[in-house]
Amino acid sequence: MSGTRSDRLYRVGAGLVAGAVPLVLAAILVFILFDGLPAIRYMGVQFWTSISWNLGNEYGTALTVRNGVQAMQGASFGILPYILGTLLTSVVALVIAVPLGVGTALFLSEWAPARLRTFLSALVELLAGVPSVVYGLWGLAVVVPAVGASVAPWMAAHLGFIPFFAGSPGSGPGLLAAGVVLAIMVLPLIAATTRDAMIQTPQAQREAAYALGLTKWEAVSAVVLRGSRPAIVGASILGLGRALGETMAVLMVCGGAVNLLPGNLYGPVNTLAAVIASQLDSALTDSTQMAVHALAAVALTLFVISLIVNGLARLIVREEARA
Amino acid sequence: MTLGTKGARWVSVVAAAALLAGTVGAQGAAMAASRKPAGTKVATLLETGSSLLYPLFNIWIPSYNKVHPNVQITPGSTGSGTGISDAEDGTVQIGASDAYLPPTAKSTNGGSMLNVPLGISAQMINFNLPGLNAKHLHLNGPILAGIFSGKIKKWNAPAIAKLNKGVKLPNHAIIPIRRIDGSGDTFLFTQYMTFSAGSAWAPGYGTTVNWPAVGNEISAQGNSGMVTALNSTPYGVAYIGISYENEIVSHKLGIAAIENKAGKFLTPNPSDIQFAAAAMVSKTPSSEALSLIFSPGANSYPIINYEYAILDTKQANATDAKWVKDFLTWCLTTGQSMSYLNQVHFQPLPHFVVNMSKAQLNRLQG
Repeated sequence: MSGTRSDRLYRVGAGLVAGAVPLVLAAILVFILFDGLPAIRYMGVQFWTSISWNLGNEYGTALTVRNGVQAMQGASFGILPYILGTLLTSVVALVIAVPLGVGTALFLSEWAPARLRTFLSALVELLAGVPSVVYGLWGLAVVVPAVGASVAPWMAAHLGFIPFFAGSPGSGPGLLAAGVVLAIMVLPLIAATTRDAMIQTPQAQREAAYALGLTKWEAVSAVVLRGSRPAIVGASILGLGRALGETMAVLMVCGGAVNLLPGNLYGPVNTLAAVIASQLDSALTDSTQMAVHALAAVALTLFVISLIVNGLARLIVREEARA
Repeated sequence: MTLGTKGARWVSVVAAAALLAGTVGAQGAAMAASRKPAGTKVATLLETGSSLLYPLFNIWIPSYNKVHPNVQITPGSTGSGTGISDAEDGTVQIGASDAYLPPTAKSTNGGSMLNVPLGISAQMINFNLPGLNAKHLHLNGPILAGIFSGKIKKWNAPAIAKLNKGVKLPNHAIIPIRRIDGSGDTFLFTQYMTFSAGSAWAPGYGTTVNWPAVGNEISAQGNSGMVTALNSTPYGVAYIGISYENEIVSHKLGIAAIENKAGKFLTPNPSDIQFAAAAMVSKTPSSEALSLIFSPGANSYPIINYEYAILDTKQANATDAKWVKDFLTWCLTTGQSMSYLNQVHFQPLPHFVVNMSKAQLNRLQG
């Protein structure tokens, strides 16, 4: 197939632009890998297994040297609490957001009258466009006081028989508050994606279900829900991806725990993204630069977790589609 | 509404900016005939750092601009850690810190970094105990160390009850609130515990420290964040710079009486801050790096400090150097008037410290 000169130019140009995307991704990976390496050398595997996070004493008399790299006196970078915090806040968010999102989508595609559907769909999409700091502010002003004053004490008292639901109800900021705020943030993503898939369910299949004598709900669950299962899984994973990396809103409501493993559903936590944002100021005062390297290694960890989640998502969606 | 203070602060900042713009315009017009065209900026200076010093800069700058309308100074409340690092890497001309420079910073920029005191400040220990906030609860270093390391868990713990006879302390978990950003207030608070609690406080002091894990802990950003967090957290305890005393009072939060070296429990009132300063300032070395924490004397409030401007003697150019020096000299002379300092509950520097600060400013170069 021989194109004209302009065809060839176009092909090369488009190829370059398309190639830039993986190149940028690779460049970012290489950058944070090299920037994070000194901290990983300093801590070894304990970087991921230790719970002690300490930038070191800047007023100390000597530097701490380990494995040939130096940090401020007594510095220790263990990010296990932040890894767990990241995963837990995202899981809590999905547990709340998936049923809500799927329910919203079902209503929009199956029950809502046409005019209401247009209006509500627009609202859902609007929800997706709200900047995350606005959600954080709402979380701080509304969710945190509500969780601290009534939701968490009630749950601890009445649902305490479930593991992880017992114990001190905390004071508001923490895992539950962060999970609720994240849930509201990923809800539009899940609702909109799922609704699009449900609307595409062939009308003939619905009619076939009715012809077999199924009720509306039976028809919807047998045809629409079953048919859009890959979309629901895919949308949930998309939501998970967003929840894992969300920074600002989480930072404002998570309680900013350090050196502390999450003990129950209500206690303070911290996430990888929030730690990078909140510790960068302090890290920049480290004359040995090790604290900044540690934050780069935190970013690297978050990057790898996101990659794994995305890979898993693709696998699951493929399996689901085949089934 | 927990965001009340922040909202009010924004309104006041915007109002101050509007006022500033108005003055600049008017004075510029008046000067146009004699010297320069209206509104010509001779220098644009940035300040970041201490959220404790920030309210004072917001008072100082509009007054300074009445004299020098063409010098634009923009302050930022970022926490002392950022103030120090911004001044070191030259992002800003003036950094602000409640803590003197760490020894490790001496090597930074070839030893050209200065810490120059601009005033004397103090730190409150605040609490939010429903029904008890009008009382000045008695606390000391060992108890605070116990609370912030998770060993003292409840308000009615025997150690606290012993110091507060006759007060009905609640049987409720204590929620320690601390700074998440690099903070001079953390430096002051942890230094007080280090000096007064001995082995009960192991992490030492610094703008960030290795906080022991406490199940109920909460972290907040900046002094205004601490006020918001404490206000929305019943049974919380927090360390907050004295320039936020008005907010604490308007939210009806508690101010603790803290034990000093002589064993006396004091609140941060002006005379006890001055008393504490008087006992220490004569020891000020020419570098002016001096801790005023846990000062001796019967009436010395134990958590006071110099508020520092963090400066690189090698400024980017001669104009910056000239106006940084001019502005800070104004802060050290006219700016020491109680009409400014009273608004943020600061105390003025003694004369000989003012002279030492001026001597340090003389080292600024373009």
